[in-house]
Amino acid sequence: MKNIKYKIAILSLGIVALLTGCKKFLEESPDRRTEINTIEKLGQLLVTAYPDRHYYTFAEGASDNTEDKSAKNSLYNSEPFISLYNWNTPEGSGNGTPAEYWNACYRAVATANQALKSIEENNFGTAANQYKGEALVARAYAEFMLVTFFAEAYEIDGSNSSLGVPYPLEPETTARPTYERGTVASTYAQIRKDLEEGLPLLKGAKYQVPHYHFTEQAAKVFASRFYLFTGEWDKVISNVSTIYADGNFKTKIRQYTGELYPLSYDEHRIEYTKAEKPWNLLLSNTYSVFQRSSAAGGNRFSFGENAKNYYVGITVFGKAFRNRFGIYSSSPPNYTTNKFNEYFYYTNVQANTGYPYIMAPILTADEALLNRAEAYIRLAKEKADPSYFSLAINDLNDFASTRIVGYNQSTDGLTIAKAKTYFGLTDDYEAMIQSLLQTKRIAFMQEGLRWLDILRFKLTVKHNFVATDGTETFQTLPHGDKRRVFQIPQDAINGGITPNPR
Amino acid sequence: MKLVTVILLVSFLQVSAATYGQLVTIKEKKATLEKVIKEIKRQAGYDVLVSTDKMRSNTVVNAGFNNVSVEQVMDKILSGKDLTYSIEDKTILIKAREKSFIERIVDYFAAIKVTGIVRDKKDGLPMPGVSITIKGTNNTVVTNDKGEYQITTAEDAILVFRFIGYKTTEIAVNGKTKIDMSIEEDASQLKEVNIVSTGYQNLDRKLFTGSTSKINAKDAERNGIPDVSRMLEGQAAGVSVQNVSGTFGAAPKIRVRGATSLSGDNKPLWVVDGIILEDVVNISNEALSTGDANTLLGSSVAGLSPNDIESLTLLKDAAATAMYGARAMNGVVVVTTKKGKNTEGRTNINYTGTFTTYLKPNYNNFDIMNSAEQMSVLLEMENKGYLGHASMANAATGGVFTKMYNLMYDYDATNDSFALKNTIQDRLNFLSRYANANTNWFDVLFNNSLLQEHSLSATAGTAKSQSYFSTSFTSDNGQTLGDKVKRFTGNARHNVKFSDRLSLELLMNASIRDQKAPGTLTRQSDPVYGTYSRDFDINPYSYALNTSRLITPYDEKGNLEYFTRNYAPFNILNELESNYLNLRLLDIKIQAGLKFVVIPKLTYSVDGAYRYAASERNHYALENSNMAAAFRANGTTIINDNNQYLYKDPDNPAQPAYVVLPQGGFYNTTLNNIKNYYFRQNLDYDQTFAEKHRFNAFASMEVRFTDRQNSDYDGIGYQYENGGLVNPNYLYFKKMIEAGDPYFSMYYNKERNVGFATRVAYSYDNTYSINATFRYDGSNRMGTSSAVRWLPTWNVSGAWDLSQEKFYPKNKYLSSARLRGTYGLVANMGNASNSTALFYNRITYRPYDNEKETATYISSLANSELTWEKLYELNLGADLGLFNDKVNFTVDYYKRNIFDLLGNLKTSGVGGQNVKYANYGKMEAQGVELTIAGNPIQTTSGFKWRTQLNFAHNTNKVTQLDVDPNIWNLVSAEGAPMQGYAQRGLFSVVFDGLNPNYGYPTFIGTNGARHDPYIYFQSTTGSNYLKYHGPVDPTFTGGFYNQFSYKNFTLSTLFTFATGNYVRLQPSYSPQYTDLNSMSRDLINRWVMSGDEKYTNIPAVVDAFTLANRIYRPDGTTTDARYAYNAYNYSDQRVAKGDFVRLKNISLSYQIPQKLASKVKMSNMQISLVGNNIALLYSDDKLNGADPEFFNNGGVAMPIPRQYTLSIKAGF
Repeated sequence: MKNIKYKIAILSLGIVALLTGCKKFLEESPDRRTEINTIEKLGQLLVTAYPDRHYYTFAEGASDNTEDKSAKNSLYNSEPFISLYNWNTPEGSGNGTPAEYWNACYRAVATANQALKSIEENNFGTAANQYKGEALVARAYAEFMLVTFFAEAYEIDGSNSSLGVPYPLEPETTARPTYERGTVASTYAQIRKDLEEGLPLLKGAKYQVPHYHFTEQAAKVFASRFYLFTGEWDKVISNVSTIYADGNFKTKIRQYTGELYPLSYDEHRIEYTKAEKPWNLLLSNTYSVFQRSSAAGGNRFSFGENAKNYYVGITVFGKAFRNRFGIYSSSPPNYTTNKFNEYFYYTNVQANTGYPYIMAPILTADEALLNRAEAYIRLAKEKADPSYFSLAINDLNDFASTRIVGYNQSTDGLTIAKAKTYFGLTDDYEAMIQSLLQTKRIAFMQEGLRWLDILRFKLTVKHNFVATDGTETFQTLPHGDKRRVFQIPQDAINGGITPNPR
Repeated sequence: MKLVTVILLVSFLQVSAATYGQLVTIKEKKATLEKVIKEIKRQAGYDVLVSTDKMRSNTVVNAGFNNVSVEQVMDKILSGKDLTYSIEDKTILIKAREKSFIERIVDYFAAIKVTGIVRDKKDGLPMPGVSITIKGTNNTVVTNDKGEYQITTAEDAILVFRFIGYKTTEIAVNGKTKIDMSIEEDASQLKEVNIVSTGYQNLDRKLFTGSTSKINAKDAERNGIPDVSRMLEGQAAGVSVQNVSGTFGAAPKIRVRGATSLSGDNKPLWVVDGIILEDVVNISNEALSTGDANTLLGSSVAGLSPNDIESLTLLKDAAATAMYGARAMNGVVVVTTKKGKNTEGRTNINYTGTFTTYLKPNYNNFDIMNSAEQMSVLLEMENKGYLGHASMANAATGGVFTKMYNLMYDYDATNDSFALKNTIQDRLNFLSRYANANTNWFDVLFNNSLLQEHSLSATAGTAKSQSYFSTSFTSDNGQTLGDKVKRFTGNARHNVKFSDRLSLELLMNASIRDQKAPGTLTRQSDPVYGTYSRDFDINPYSYALNTSRLITPYDEKGNLEYFTRNYAPFNILNELESNYLNLRLLDIKIQAGLKFVVIPKLTYSVDGAYRYAASERNHYALENSNMAAAFRANGTTIINDNNQYLYKDPDNPAQPAYVVLPQGGFYNTTLNNIKNYYFRQNLDYDQTFAEKHRFNAFASMEVRFTDRQNSDYDGIGYQYENGGLVNPNYLYFKKMIEAGDPYFSMYYNKERNVGFATRVAYSYDNTYSINATFRYDGSNRMGTSSAVRWLPTWNVSGAWDLSQEKFYPKNKYLSSARLRGTYGLVANMGNASNSTALFYNRITYRPYDNEKETATYISSLANSELTWEKLYELNLGADLGLFNDKVNFTVDYYKRNIFDLLGNLKTSGVGGQNVKYANYGKMEAQGVELTIAGNPIQTTSGFKWRTQLNFAHNTNKVTQLDVDPNIWNLVSAEGAPMQGYAQRGLFSVVFDGLNPNYGYPTFIGTNGARHDPYIYFQSTTGSNYLKYHGPVDPTFTGGFYNQFSYKNFTLSTLFTFATGNYVRLQPSYSPQYTDLNSMSRDLINRWVMSGDEKYTNIPAVVDAFTLANRIYRPDGTTTDARYAYNAYNYSDQRVAKGDFVRLKNISLSYQIPQKLASKVKMSNMQISLVGNNIALLYSDDKLNGADPEFFNNGGVAMPIPRQYTLSIKAGF
């Protein structure tokens, strides 16, 4: 009996030893996942705090930069262009749809939230300030773009009590938590909080590839965009004016008449979105077919003859802006502004499989300059002080000097009188606004920013429709039309997010 | 010692023999020995003692003694017999005479042949397989199918009859030449059929209450089919085996009681000799049909030789699989391999050889246009504005028209002429050669080649130590020119019993595979237009089916004729020779088990195994392959601009695209390996109290460790023709690096599992049994959070043997009846591992080196609610024995409640992940399984009929699925789950007539609109307007096996059948057709002019303008024709029923008579003729003879061939 007890004792000892070994044994990581436990990894995580999809397709597709080129004259006729042009909600979340952009923005928000949580959990302290700033501003940016497209436009001095967009502040830990949309006002309040807390932390921020991150400069461009919507003109001006120490934009914005001038079409496309170019203050690598002839160029509802004519036409400055528009497959009116170079990310070169990308300039020096010009014009009216007009004109002229070949200040410079004549207007302010809008529409053709102006200036969008027999009809999308707010994606509605009224 | 005493005694006795002399008189012709001895005693007063059993009292002697001495009488009656006598104290002692050496040799030659029949004492039926050994020697024979044996032995030998489960019986020969024997069942020994092997325990069926099916390898033997997994076909109720590919190494789609998971692999767990067999690569059941190269590693049992298998046990219900707890949801296949037997030291050697030939597929089975029919369609297309010079001359892909245009522009300056004149007549002449070609691609690409298998095994053993060794070699020259395989297996198993308390088992098996397959890349899905594609696909079967019969493999001069693919010359024969995969796999398992009886009835055992498998897959693309040539196709500026395999250097945008593979081809390597440790210790307590109470308790603790690693390397610019020189162009690497495609990569995953299990069984009087199992599993797979790491599973079951009850009337009709019931929980681990957030790294997708940086991205958000997939199962079953248990009838009903299923869950996206992998699904399944098996007829004349009919009905329904899957998944051949429908339902876009003006197909749109030519395949909301056909898995499956044997002949047949499922026909319609692809005969009936839509549903070949501009949606907008035609491929017009009845196997064997066999020193020999996959007796007409089980997805997938095999088995 003694013997048996001894044996059982040994057995149970063995089992106990194995049990205690279990915990460690089961802690082995199942694969090559990583953890956010150093500041370096925190920095790496924030590389993905930017939307990796762009809004060009749908913002352009619904805007007046798009037209019906007729079935006969187009190369393709595919979704989502058809739905977008008709101000319907495209199905699914394929490339170029608002739903796809919604998901991408919230992915960026999730990364920012994770970064903020990691900073807290790891007690990184002030050493992580730059990254805290980046996370806050990146979150504010993504949320701002979401509220712009998926909620009613902000009304300066309005109640802004219509539905906002969900604004998660913590990483999600359960499969399907519920989210509330809040109001436009509450969304803006949180964006302001994040932006104003984050921006000061970005001072002196260092990045491996700065043009793909929120530097202080990029954050200020974003701030100027935000304050334009809230009507805080002084803040627009102060942010833009401190982007460059010397305050000189002329050499920083897109050099159409300078270094870009001699380039071939192919070279132009490549150089335009290179990170080293000073005008690209924030680039984002975005999955896209927008640049292909099968998408924005060759589709029936896309950048066509009318928009092209506007793009190459005589401007309020008296001359046309230099441009490098191109024709797809030698078949007008299938055009491109030739701004985007496709980068094909290969999953396998041998099999020729992968994903098309473009490096999307989402914040530029050009926008900053024109934002400030707008703020001056607005201030001129608000403060009834015409001296602001001349500040605006200075900015617009700086811009035109890089666009008009052989620019001559005295002949090509803008004046209020020129503007009034050009637009047939009598009001100084209106003429200045029209000058600004024209400049911006041409400057950012195919870059989606027109939609922001349509919202802010309550512009009516007019679309033509060409029947098979050639007859043309028109439809308009005036201010107040519910369809100006892109619908919440179907998946999100299914997931409990209140849809926008239709 | 004994011997010496006897010799001494004998010699002493002989010395004293002649001392006394007495006379006796006996006169009798036929006196019995007894009488003679009595007379001697009466007349001379001598006692006679007989100390040998060699003399019988009734032996008759011719006694004519007249007053002769006792000695004389004795000499006379013992003469000629090996006896001697001595006389002492008036006592005559008769005993055996010591033999001289010479006499012994003479004895040896004087051996006799003994024959006889061994029968079962119970029913008097002959018993095959009984071993008969001459006691004290290694000389053993085995009875044949009729229970007969023949053995050469000495007259005085003793024969020992042995059979598992029967009492060992001895009999002395005593000079007899015919000994018939009846042997009796040993109640104390269990009959083999009554043992259930769960992989953990070998249990008495009386104590076991779960639902299982046992398949003896002998019955399920499929000569000529080297993969063990095919042995399950049609043999067990509730097990469906779908042969989605016939390529060696590709697993069939096996389902035990249907699918249990929406996203998991749904594969049963394979357990070989008690050790879980982990897959080298994890391939889901759905992925098995993709034809991708890694499916060659899909069958985990491909390394086992079927000849080494003893039996397969299928564990089906929760009680049976309970010991596998958290891996048991999909059922378990327990494989038991052969082990050594007690052969009394003799070595038995067995050889099996099979020789198989394949039948080529035939065009009669497919509705493919012949070359003349196809030419007429192409000419129509030419009239409609296709196949013109501009589009064809520089086309990426082109057949006869491309060739024609290129020849028309092929100018020969020497005689100022073009290779082909541009006249109608010349063109027609050129085309007519192809119109008449009618190439038989099956003849060109398929072999009637030989598959041979040789397997040799040796077994030897004594009571204390038994060993089994085997080795096999399989060589398959391949069904087609593109495939070939060789496999070697080795198996060694040794059992030692050191004492009654300690025994040891050592096992080792190894296999090596060397396989060739057509070169292939991974299949790509394009859900926008609804197509799948595979670049450079050269699968011979898909090529034969998809290539126009206009195309000729050889030109008029008999040289290989090339057409255009990827802008480069292409000829399939050249390509198969110069673009291929080579797969080598080495798989070794070493296993040991120790059993120790701690105290009587309590056994401690420990098992450990180590397995290492490494595979290397090399993709060879030689310089003259189309794949390499495509990288050099640079003939014209148009090609230069369009050929994606060239490289446009962003640093030199003004330059034309570069050729980045100027020399050589590719040599790509993919390595997969697995390292697996398994350790388990068990305590087993088995006690019987007071005869009637039987109790068994079992406790087990196990640890599993699995590391998988895979890596791949791209070998660029390998110059096969130039001694293996590698001189790649740096631009290739520049392209790769800029493009973010790494030239090598390595991944690993690590699995750590711990399990504790206990099982208690009690049985009362063999009548009532009850069983309870509890298991606690731990795993690292769900991630680092410890909250979700552990899972308990449990099970209770019971059985009642009615026929053991006193009230049960003994009768021969329902001779036994047992009822079973089970309820319990089993689980499975899904593929999710995000209990905490998952972060991975990648390099950003940006074009320039100075813009790239390392990014960490959230691959999955945390899911604190993550858990295992689980199911509750209720199983009710009955085992009935009919007609004195000659026929067994087993029926099972089960109901399963499956929950916490993982699946892709669409979320609002606000959390940052639009599609999450989470536990959200629920499913219900139920089914009935029925098996009738037995030996209804067994006559004494030697006719025997064994039969087995099994069938199962299984249905499942998704009861909760929070979001609808997109249309593309629902309509794909693999199907998709949707709430309220089957686990994998096949849906279709509803065809809504052909457009009356242009003949393009229209459908019910995703918003319900009629006559819509546009289907948005990614829509998740339009599924309401789809048509549901049914599940893609059959709901009713079964097999019917019969074996008839008479004398030395055995005939067996296996039919398999299935019904209830639907299959998607191969997508074959498109708005325009190339001059390279084959076309369906259906196209003859296509829409040609308005009004045809009333008579046909086959869409038109639309003209080029209509294609782009006249495909009208109901709202008046126009769309691209590709949507309409691809949707047609996924419409209700392109679905067939999956029903089939198949003659799977037929086999005729002849056992060479023992007499003949023994002449060539064999103990037995058998010759069989076997046919496999002989005929598809019934299938849906819409399939036009194509196999409903086979998914023709190209790559390495091949259909199951029809094959004929000659098999030889010999034992020595």
